[in-house]
Amino acid sequence: MSVLADRLRGIVRTVGGRPEDRPLPEQDDAAEILDGEWRELRGQRFMVIDRKYAPGHRHGHVAVADTLPPDERSWPRFPLLNNLPAPRSEGRMLFVDLETTGLAGGAGTYAFLVGCAWYQDGGMRIRQFFLSDFGAERALLEAVREIAGPCGAVVTFNGKSFDLPLIETRFLLHRMETPFSALPHVDMLHPARRLWREEADDDDAGRPVMSRQAGSCRLTSLEQTLCGYVREGDVPGFEIPSRYFHFVRTGDARGLAAVMEHNRLDLISLAMLAAHASQLLEDGPAAARTSREALGMGRLYERGGMSVDARAAFLRAAEHSEGDAATRAEAWRSYAVMSRRERRYHDAADAWRRILELRRCPPAILREASEALAVHHEHRLRDFDAARTFALQSLNFNATRSRQAATEHRLARLGRKLGETGAEPMALF
Amino acid sequence: MISLAMLPARRTDPAHDVALQTALDRLTGGVVERPDTPDGWVTAVRRLPARAAEYAPFPDGIDPALRDVLRGRGIEQLYTHQAAAIEHALAGRNVVITTPTASGKTLCYNAPVLSAILRDASTRALYLFPTKALAQDQLAELHELSDQLSRRSELDIGVFTYDGDTPQDARRAIRGRAHVVLSNPDMIHSGILPHHPRWAKLFENLKFVVIDELHAYRGVFGSHLTNVLRRLRRICQHYGSNPVFICSSATIANPRELAESLAEQSFELVAESGAPRGEKFFLFVNPPVVNQQLGIRRSYLAETRRVAAEFVKRKLQIIVFTQSRLTTEILTTYLKDDFDGPPGTPDQIRGYRGGYLPQRRREIEKGLREGSVRAVISTNALELGIDIGALDVCVMAGYPGTIASTWQRAGRAGRRSSRSAAVLVGSSAPLDQFVVRNPSYFFDAPPEHALINPDNLHILVDHVKCAAFELPFTTSEQYGRHDVQEVLAVLEEGGLVHRADAGEGDGHWQWTNESYPADAVSLRSISSDNFVVVDITSGADVIGETSFNSGPPTLHEKAIYIIEGALYQVEKLDFEGRKAFVRQIECDYYTDAITYTKVAVLETFAAGDAASSFSRSIASHGEVHVTSRVVGFKKIKFYTNENVGSGELDLPEQQMHTTGYWLTVPPEVMGALPYAPDDRRDGVVGLSFAMRQVAQLLLMCDRQDIGISIGSGEQGEETDLNRAGFPAKVSDEPRIFIYDNYPGGIGFSAPLFAMHGDLLARTRELIAGCECEHGCPTCVGPIGNTGPLAKVVALRILELIGSRQIQEGAA
Repeated sequence: MSVLADRLRGIVRTVGGRPEDRPLPEQDDAAEILDGEWRELRGQRFMVIDRKYAPGHRHGHVAVADTLPPDERSWPRFPLLNNLPAPRSEGRMLFVDLETTGLAGGAGTYAFLVGCAWYQDGGMRIRQFFLSDFGAERALLEAVREIAGPCGAVVTFNGKSFDLPLIETRFLLHRMETPFSALPHVDMLHPARRLWREEADDDDAGRPVMSRQAGSCRLTSLEQTLCGYVREGDVPGFEIPSRYFHFVRTGDARGLAAVMEHNRLDLISLAMLAAHASQLLEDGPAAARTSREALGMGRLYERGGMSVDARAAFLRAAEHSEGDAATRAEAWRSYAVMSRRERRYHDAADAWRRILELRRCPPAILREASEALAVHHEHRLRDFDAARTFALQSLNFNATRSRQAATEHRLARLGRKLGETGAEPMALF
Repeated sequence: MISLAMLPARRTDPAHDVALQTALDRLTGGVVERPDTPDGWVTAVRRLPARAAEYAPFPDGIDPALRDVLRGRGIEQLYTHQAAAIEHALAGRNVVITTPTASGKTLCYNAPVLSAILRDASTRALYLFPTKALAQDQLAELHELSDQLSRRSELDIGVFTYDGDTPQDARRAIRGRAHVVLSNPDMIHSGILPHHPRWAKLFENLKFVVIDELHAYRGVFGSHLTNVLRRLRRICQHYGSNPVFICSSATIANPRELAESLAEQSFELVAESGAPRGEKFFLFVNPPVVNQQLGIRRSYLAETRRVAAEFVKRKLQIIVFTQSRLTTEILTTYLKDDFDGPPGTPDQIRGYRGGYLPQRRREIEKGLREGSVRAVISTNALELGIDIGALDVCVMAGYPGTIASTWQRAGRAGRRSSRSAAVLVGSSAPLDQFVVRNPSYFFDAPPEHALINPDNLHILVDHVKCAAFELPFTTSEQYGRHDVQEVLAVLEEGGLVHRADAGEGDGHWQWTNESYPADAVSLRSISSDNFVVVDITSGADVIGETSFNSGPPTLHEKAIYIIEGALYQVEKLDFEGRKAFVRQIECDYYTDAITYTKVAVLETFAAGDAASSFSRSIASHGEVHVTSRVVGFKKIKFYTNENVGSGELDLPEQQMHTTGYWLTVPPEVMGALPYAPDDRRDGVVGLSFAMRQVAQLLLMCDRQDIGISIGSGEQGEETDLNRAGFPAKVSDEPRIFIYDNYPGGIGFSAPLFAMHGDLLARTRELIAGCECEHGCPTCVGPIGNTGPLAKVVALRILELIGSRQIQEGAA
């Protein structure tokens, strides 16, 4: 090699080549290994892998048939999951999950596998589009568009911040219109967080989970809790890009079979998750297993304008035996705020009072409750003494400077209303 | 700042001119027309005559609506340079404009851009500023114009800044709606180019790229910018656009050359300003020597205070530029003591620097424009385009480092119709002393060259990675001066890209890595390997970072680390972990590392000296291998540069390949020196010390950009060192190396080789003109570095080299 190459090696600091990554002449056909078939469009070749899951196929203890939406399109309460306008009636739900060459995004991050799933013929169908050659990306995207275009909604897990922007970038790069931007989108990460935060949001050590790899862990931990399914021999997320790059350099597809399976399991899990959440909302607040679940349901109902169910769910969350103080306080608070908005002031006041009776309630909520009660007693009941007691109570909790000033202002006003003169609220401390 | 033509003349009363004249008389003793006096207090006075405005009509291409808006602002016609620049840009020719501060340069790019948008609403433009603050300042002005235009036409012209401060949720809207995006090279590099599909609308319709403050892009930053622009042009090509470049620069020697090497296209130059200028006086002041033997001068800050006071007390509005945040605060305190009214009255004396909150800055800028602030003391924060109107007087405490920057600052003073003045007060720093004692260097010589080396392999490789991430390279694509195909082949060995060959036609190099390469590349340094500085005064905060090469000399144990005027002492250097732990202290000295460097010549690119009769060429440049080791440090007192202590260190060796210039002192010259070996050694050491100062001046670079070394240039040579870190003895044919202090070199060596004659001549001037007796930090280095004869011997060496050259030239 030349002098330039030697100097470059010093700069790039690579440890020689990667002999094991040289193209191997005699390779089994990737389509055979991955059990897919080649598709060719204008000379661009990519792979399509199709799978059918019969109605009796089980993911843990849940059978595909158990999750089947009526008419195979959508579950009745499904739109509540993302406050959607009802999915387009003519289309079915499309579950989408990408496998990519990195997490950073940007023009150099490819979606080398676009996994799609939908219900059909009483069972589930999965179609994976595999980019075996970068040059075939345009053809692959056209095929994806053909599938996605007629759908009624797209369902993902963390797709709002990851999968959809990433594939949108790929479409944009080829100057193609993206089919997904026109579709209603349910990102199951968000309702899952509302409903199953404990299960979904912390890793083993109880720390909040941040990364995308952990995101799929979260999906796997959800499928474990909700479906009782435990994966064996699953590919860790961080290994996926390097397995793909190995294939690109060598043509050796053996390491990818597990990646394809990983993607299919994610898709099935995603569908089950969406089905479970929709079913829960249909079964109603009484079906909630935990206080957290009931609170999450209340929020989803509330956002969907179903206030009767929302009230019931908040009450269930507040009074559920399976619940920690924080969740129950939050439930009472939600109940109170909702009641106040609906001008049911006495219900609201009752709820605020229940908060003050709770043990181990977060101070911010305690402060909010005593403030609300001070307002209620001053303006609605005109019980200035009680109002002053609550206002004073609210000062026990840390508050921002402006809130504290507002309370002091209130105390001064109450003092005047009570006929005290010169009662400086600050003198009370 | 649209144009001076629109600014109301704020003061035309003769009383003002009289006040200025009186103040100048006090400083010059009333003698204005006189020869330079290098040894005097005022070393030079220059009168720059007034110049009338030269106007030209609006070029045809300017949209009628824009013309109306400009007329509404009192602009009936343009200055000649504005008209010329606008015409070039509208005709699709790249143009670079160099005109003084406040000559209405922004209209040179805003007019063609806005006209093109009005004509075709799909038009897009990208503005690049070296800092976020400048982009913000321009945004305000451009908004005013575009708002007025939007009111007149159906079109809603979108003008937005897009930088690290832009909120995430606003970004999508900006990508869709912005006709003009104001940004900086760092953001283009890491936030826009890698996400080009989201910016497709911009890149498809990109008609103009505006690069303001072009002269800021020299050295490493400029070399990176060339590569960012190469990547930008690749993306534009992908989307089918071919933007016109409009650049503006302060006065440098090679604006067109710089623009052409940054954008790699040909440019038209507009250098003749048509803006009017009032009469201006330029003074150089040198604080008097108080200790002849050590060459110590009176504090230049005290001198600046005295000079500034002459103007402030005569109610003249003044800006004082300082060299650091610390000195800004010191001078502000001095002048407030002298002039601020009783407590409660509005502040008439204000400080201004980075680190002040934006609201305070805006208030000061407004006070300056309205005249309620009489004096502002500022770091270079006010040097570039921030709008503060034009003031009466500019006083510079210390030489700003380059001719370009000095004129830029001086330009802050100067009204259209009345007199103004600029005063440069030299500090005892070598460069300052050279400039104030050699006024013709500043006034008569062409300004500096801005130099870049975009094909530095380290920089190039980083950007090839970024470019491959953005769009696959084809197997026939060119990029830069080196063979990019070979670069890609090496990247493939590391698994970063993969070559995919198509059946017929070109194959592609595909990015096959999980990383986002732009994140690992900082445009303001050369290598991603660096040392971070951790402040452990209270907790552990990262307060700074330095490149790998400058780590050991600046962050060794007991080193004083200075950031924003605050002093820290290094307590521990974790070399392996690349961390330095520092604690804030108060002290009156800084440290200067004693680095022993050994240079071995790898390849000589060119050698020769046309007029030389010596057995060997005395000047050469080429590729060198530099080994350096920090062996100790000196403590240097602030302001006086006295050596007040030292320490020994033992740090690992560092190595790099770079480029260098070297002077070979021929055996004939060494042999002809009638001095003892130690004195001869001192002469060579002193000569190298002085050459470094001059090289820095000629190259328009910072002190740490170049390094010096003395040796034979042979590989494997071992040399004993004396306590100052210099060789204990020199050979019969010593070489003085001045090398680029960056791996791969940054383009200083070839120009230095070309300026060899100038380098020696000015070095001679510097040493001969210095008033010290036996050497000082201003010329051959402080006593202690070298013995008493350093100055004499160094001059003798130059004389011998010179006379042989002259003899030969005459023969």
